[in-house]
Amino acid sequence: MLTVSHLRKQYSTVLAVDDVSLSVQGGEILGLLGPNGAGKTTIIRMILDIIQADAGTISYDGKPFTDAVRNLIGYLPEERGLYRKNKLINTILYFASLKQIDSDEAKRRAYDWLKRFDLLNYYDRKLEELSKGNQQKVQFIISILHDPQLVILDEPFSGLDPVNQILMKDILSELKHQGKAIIFSTHQMDHAEKLCDSICLINQGKVILEGKVDEIKRRYGKNTIQMIYNGDGSFLSTLASVKTAYIYENYAELVLDTDRHQNKLLTEIASRLDVRKYENVEPSLNAIFLELVGADKKIGGETGGKQ
Amino acid sequence: MRKVLAVAKWEYIEKIKSKAFLFSLIIIPVIMIGMGVLPGLLASRPDTESKIIGVFDQSGEIYQPLKKYLNIHYQLPSGKPNYVLVSVADTLNTVQEGKNLADALVLASEIEGYVIIPKSIMSDTSVEYRSENVGNIRVTDRLTNAIRDLVVEKKLHDQGIDPILVKQLISPLEMRTIKLSKSGAEESGFTQVFFTAYVFMMMMLFLVLTSGQLLVRSMLEEKSNRVVEILVSSCSANDLMAGKVLGLSGLGLTQMGIWVVMGLAISLKFGVSVIALPSALLLLLYFILGYVLYAALFVAAGSPVSTEQEAQQITSYLSLTLVLPIALALPVMQNPNSMLVKVLTFVPLMTPTMMAMRIPIHMPSTIEIVSSLALLALSAIVMMWIAGKIFRVAILVYGKRPSIRELLRYLRSN
Repeated sequence: MLTVSHLRKQYSTVLAVDDVSLSVQGGEILGLLGPNGAGKTTIIRMILDIIQADAGTISYDGKPFTDAVRNLIGYLPEERGLYRKNKLINTILYFASLKQIDSDEAKRRAYDWLKRFDLLNYYDRKLEELSKGNQQKVQFIISILHDPQLVILDEPFSGLDPVNQILMKDILSELKHQGKAIIFSTHQMDHAEKLCDSICLINQGKVILEGKVDEIKRRYGKNTIQMIYNGDGSFLSTLASVKTAYIYENYAELVLDTDRHQNKLLTEIASRLDVRKYENVEPSLNAIFLELVGADKKIGGETGGKQ
Repeated sequence: MRKVLAVAKWEYIEKIKSKAFLFSLIIIPVIMIGMGVLPGLLASRPDTESKIIGVFDQSGEIYQPLKKYLNIHYQLPSGKPNYVLVSVADTLNTVQEGKNLADALVLASEIEGYVIIPKSIMSDTSVEYRSENVGNIRVTDRLTNAIRDLVVEKKLHDQGIDPILVKQLISPLEMRTIKLSKSGAEESGFTQVFFTAYVFMMMMLFLVLTSGQLLVRSMLEEKSNRVVEILVSSCSANDLMAGKVLGLSGLGLTQMGIWVVMGLAISLKFGVSVIALPSALLLLLYFILGYVLYAALFVAAGSPVSTEQEAQQITSYLSLTLVLPIALALPVMQNPNSMLVKVLTFVPLMTPTMMAMRIPIHMPSTIEIVSSLALLALSAIVMMWIAGKIFRVAILVYGKRPSIRELLRYLRSN
């Protein structure tokens, strides 16, 4: 569906995107991951032809970008916002008309989606009367109303409550099974881990890791311990065989330099903490992310704590 | 093109439904009419009751003739005399006595005010009017004129000259102006031509102001609510810009059209003759091209803006270039063919207004017309192109306003 190769974008002195290549097929979800300012939004904007690349090619089903391609793409920008003074349904119909959807058809689809998102009460209301979360749902509806083949969502989960996050996940899976190609960017690794077929990890404009999620995890081996406990776990990072520790209030993820000698480790930990769960697993994407992006070693709480 | 129309329709329909539009549609004519008519109503309203004016005639020669003069010249609509004169003191009183007496009458509101005519009125040129209200210019004007006429008449009489003869001899001269053109002669006053050009300039100013402001506001709104990203992922930046200019110009024209119809209706109702503009089509061409140039300028200057204050500044600076020709109107129209005026005609931003002043007075040569139109059209096209370039990049720039150097870089990028 979409193939991006050797994309490059320079802003005066900053190289925002450096030789990025990625591709996504129909029926596939690609997670575009990376810390803030990594260049994710710039890549997305170039795919959408909002800004132009300095070098590299982007092709849609093998063809270059044309005005017709715009009608096949749905986009949810990271910066949320809608016209405040206009009625919900009029706003939705306007954006549908820009995607050249016939007005009656657009009305029918809008009705279905608003019903699904429990927004029918607001059908004729001004958008400023809606809560932020509801406005975001409206914006999501706008991005998929024209039944796009390629859906690009920039941070789709931020600002949604847990119930709506689940609804969002369900809809993304549905779209995937309908054969749409989906790209979403996030820095919340648990979403990426649960949803994505493949990921592309960007840091400082470069791709530092890409591939199928399960392959990547396998590559990192079973050298990780996830544990839930009561007590002060701050000593965990000082243990001999622990290479990196991400320590939260009642949860810790330990990356070991070897997967042997675990009994000794467990005994030592159990003597100092009330351990409720202890599991030897593949590393989470979060741990891989933090390791690659170079978050401060042995300090987890601050950098990875955005759950 | 379909997307251009979709944008234009949205901008037009959603704005025309807004309360702000309805408000300005009504409130601006009300203010304009108020400004034009209200002061006149307040000032020139004829008196409904006779005013009692005191006279302290120390010369003893003015009181009676003045009474007669005022009775003849100034009457109320009901037929009663407008001013009733009473003698508050006369030659028997000393100056101080008379003043004390009369002042008391004024303060007791017995009389509106009073004039003191000095003994030496025939050689002295000043009289005194004393009243609680000295702001009533009409009373003092009329009294001044009346007393002057009477004094002059008496002086002439004393010299043995017939005042009526003198009046005939010094009757004022009236000049009628006839405008000659190839289509024939027609009577046309300077005021009328001035008015025509003035209306044209005001229409231009209002259209540019309203549409320009709407354009800047709408870009600013989409920028601050970030809708612009969805928009430019749905249609090209050029489509978006064209749609906006089209829709909001339509809105400005609708507003202007309603005002013109209202204005015509009011003029006809009050029997004011409405004169069709000579060469109206030619002026319309200048109007449209000039408007497109301004619209492009507003887009170029307005799209990098990201705060309300900056938007205000941009709008007022650009409007100043339209106010300037209005300030120049009188000298230009007195000398429409001077070199300087010709040069100013070829400054694209001034072309429409300069031509609006020149064409009704004296049709410029065909070469001037054609070349100024061509230059105006060319600059409108170039400005649109520049605006498109800037718009495409600048609408995605939030926060800091780009510097001139950055704007130039936008132009070079493709």
